[in-house]
Amino acid sequence: MSKLPEHNMPKGDHGATRSYVVGFILSLIFTAIPYYLVVNKALSSSVLLIVILAIAVIQMLIQIFFFLHLGRGPKPLYNIFFFAGTVATILVVVGGSVFIMNNLHHMVPAEAAKKLIEKEGIYQINGEKTGACQGVHSNHKVTIKNDIVTPVYIEARLCDTLTFINEDEKSREMTFGSHPRHASYGGESELAVRKGRSKTVTLNELGTHQFHDHLDPGVAGSFTVIE
Amino acid sequence: MVAHKQMDHEEAANDRVMFGFWVYLMTDLLMFAVLFAVYAVLKDSTAGGPAGRDLFRLPLALQETLLLLTSSFTCGLGMIAARQGNKRQVLGWFGATFILGLAFLSLELIEFAEIIHEGYTWQTSAFLSAFFSLVGTHGLHITFGLLWMAITLWFVVKRGLTNNMVRKLALLSLFWHFLDIVWIFIFTIVYLGAFV
Repeated sequence: MSKLPEHNMPKGDHGATRSYVVGFILSLIFTAIPYYLVVNKALSSSVLLIVILAIAVIQMLIQIFFFLHLGRGPKPLYNIFFFAGTVATILVVVGGSVFIMNNLHHMVPAEAAKKLIEKEGIYQINGEKTGACQGVHSNHKVTIKNDIVTPVYIEARLCDTLTFINEDEKSREMTFGSHPRHASYGGESELAVRKGRSKTVTLNELGTHQFHDHLDPGVAGSFTVIE
Repeated sequence: MVAHKQMDHEEAANDRVMFGFWVYLMTDLLMFAVLFAVYAVLKDSTAGGPAGRDLFRLPLALQETLLLLTSSFTCGLGMIAARQGNKRQVLGWFGATFILGLAFLSLELIEFAEIIHEGYTWQTSAFLSAFFSLVGTHGLHITFGLLWMAITLWFVVKRGLTNNMVRKLALLSLFWHFLDIVWIFIFTIVYLGAFV
């Protein structure tokens, strides 16, 4: 099957060329329109986004019809079914992700969000400062050895960090406030420090605070956070 | 009659190959869809770094779009020539497709280089991670497509337009049109979307 004789050529050949030319011109038009709309800010933001997405879908259909020839001619029906299934899956995955993440963004209660921000030390969300600590600050160490806390009092600046180092052979539950009236500090109500380990808390609340080991209230100390 | 039967058999085999490749394209489309979902979710998470509108240049994106669109068109014309058994035209149209694709890839790499040169990488923010993953994955597909095209054209030169070659070109053009369609959405969602 080298070159087919002229009269034997599939009838569609001229039609096929025309189909590509028409598809190409339509594609150019549907590229120019959204570009023009966006560059000139012709519509309000939310409408513009929907319009350019709709044009992208039209553009896709144009190319599928004129370039891929899907849906033309009787044969490749299974291709269409497979394509439709894929599109359905995509709508669920993409649409679902965007929908859920937007909801999450808008509907997490402010209180829960604040707690999370403090806990994770997130200092910026969507370009807005949260007020949580950022950057490098000094670190203060409290070492607990043979049930003795050194030093028992620490003075620190806001956003410094405080590290509890447990050098004893038992676990400790570092708690804030005085025993048994516990308080939470920096979003933490209790820091479990296993033997030989350490735990760090960010000092993001001003004032003087006490800490102690819940399992051994004699192991205690305090710190003052100033601006 | 025998020849007719043989043609039917070959056509059925062609159909099977095309369908198999179509299935691959659809799974690839699913992968792109997931990358699009990631981008849509993370595009505002700039972590204090630049947003899309600070980095992207729309005229450049438009040039890339026109290059790829035109390459998709020349690829289609090359396919018509292949079905007619016109080897010279096949080499001409697919050669043009290759050059346009290479120009597209160069512009994309220039854009990446500019962004990185300004000091922003995929590590800067979740937004840029998503951007480089999505656009980079498309760019990798284009790179692979160009390699494939170069090899196929070389075989066309060596062996001529056999039935087998025409089938290979058909798969290649399907792949190329597919990449163009994916790019339309990158152009719309990533580039135009950044300025909405």
